[in-house]
Amino acid sequence: MSRARVILAFVRRDFLAERSYRLSFALGALATLANLAVFYYIGELFGAGLAPQLEAYGAAYFPYVFLSLAFFGYIGTGAGSYAGRLRQEQTQGTLEAALSTPLGTLPFLAAMSAWNFLFATFELAVYALAGAFVFGLEFPSANWPSALLVFALSAACFAALGIISSCFVMLFKRGNPLAWVLNNFEGLLGGVYFPVGVLPGWLIPVSNLLPVTYAVRAFQLAVQRGAGPAELKGDLLALAAFNIVLLPAAAWLFGASVRRARRTGTLGEY
Amino acid sequence: MRLEARGLVKIFPAPLFSGGAPLRALDGLDLEAGPGALGIEGPNGSGKTTLFKTLAGVIEADGGAVLADGAPAGSRRLRELAALCPANPRSFYFRLSGAENLRFFGALAGLSPAEAGERAARLGGRLGLSGADLGRRFDRLSEGNMQKVSLIRAFSRRSPLLLLDEPFRGLDARAAEGLLELIEETARRSAVLVSSHTPELLRRAAGRVLKLEGGRLKGSGP
Repeated sequence: MSRARVILAFVRRDFLAERSYRLSFALGALATLANLAVFYYIGELFGAGLAPQLEAYGAAYFPYVFLSLAFFGYIGTGAGSYAGRLRQEQTQGTLEAALSTPLGTLPFLAAMSAWNFLFATFELAVYALAGAFVFGLEFPSANWPSALLVFALSAACFAALGIISSCFVMLFKRGNPLAWVLNNFEGLLGGVYFPVGVLPGWLIPVSNLLPVTYAVRAFQLAVQRGAGPAELKGDLLALAAFNIVLLPAAAWLFGASVRRARRTGTLGEY
Repeated sequence: MRLEARGLVKIFPAPLFSGGAPLRALDGLDLEAGPGALGIEGPNGSGKTTLFKTLAGVIEADGGAVLADGAPAGSRRLRELAALCPANPRSFYFRLSGAENLRFFGALAGLSPAEAGERAARLGGRLGLSGADLGRRFDRLSEGNMQKVSLIRAFSRRSPLLLLDEPFRGLDARAAEGLLELIEETARRSAVLVSSHTPELLRRAAGRVLKLEGGRLKGSGP
């Protein structure tokens, strides 16, 4: 069985389903713009002056939050989409049917969220166009190869977290503590909406436990200041270490969760 | 294909803290089937669906073994060998047409889009499902036509082991006749297991019918 054919089949299926909800598709793009506008006017309210916590990035508030939102919007897809897709398949009653075929666990994982990543790429393009033509942003110092490296390491890390999160859905259906942490604390503690330097000192060690902290900081420095891999070494090593632990753990845990659901006969339950 | 099950046991644990008792759905079940059609009958809750899902590799047995042509077959191998038409025909994507659903599930089973389309059209003709119905969104099909799409999904895999759980449910007379013919043709080369609560149809579908009771199969006369 060709893996490419399977991934294409999933993408086609999700595209057709998404297209059948036309209004939702258009409203999603509008919501992205509206969200950006909120932060744009917050930035206008407080002026163009640099807050001390932003000096390291050489950027005013709006360019900082714009970049974080665009970046996190994409890599966050990995964190949220696996559990979301799996839950959708459970409630539709199609999970058991899909896993009744010879399709292996890893191709299923790769294919399940392929559409979400494609859609996130489209949203990234919306961000880029809005940044350039609506908000007049420019990043003349950006080191794009360095940013791409951060992007790849971060996307893999968040995909692994998302797969681990989906194991809870496979086993417990509802009640996902990892998704709860990712949804409620990544934005607060990871530097997405403001640099982590704003946090009180006792929260910084907690923030340092989250991959998003390293990902956002390294991406900001690569794009705003043109930092290269040597300058980002600490953050890149941290992201690589998260990947070394999380990627094999995610693949193993997901396989074990599916086997457990097959043994307990709960694959088709929701 | 020759299928054997030896001492199959399946116990569903009670949900945690529910205070309930585990359910012993299969209790040392033995079975020999194929090539040819074998009917399985039994009251509601007797374990027919559990047996079919176990033989399809969807759920894993807690004890016993399944042999395919004499070789041990675990759940992964069974998923390669078996095609299951489940008792519930709603395991499809409702926003997609029947044809698109069959194309998708065909891809998961290794069929090209052309193969999936050709088989859907041919089998649809045998079951009385028109091209227009195949192109209709799944949630706009009648229950009977949903069942036909579900049957096409199973038959189009051309698997050596075909498991049909309540396949006659919701079908009109013409479709039921078409299904009986398809079962007869498929049973010449494959092992086909059929369950039904309609004794006449079950006996027309399968030359041999066994009764499932208390998690074990017992011989049953026509």
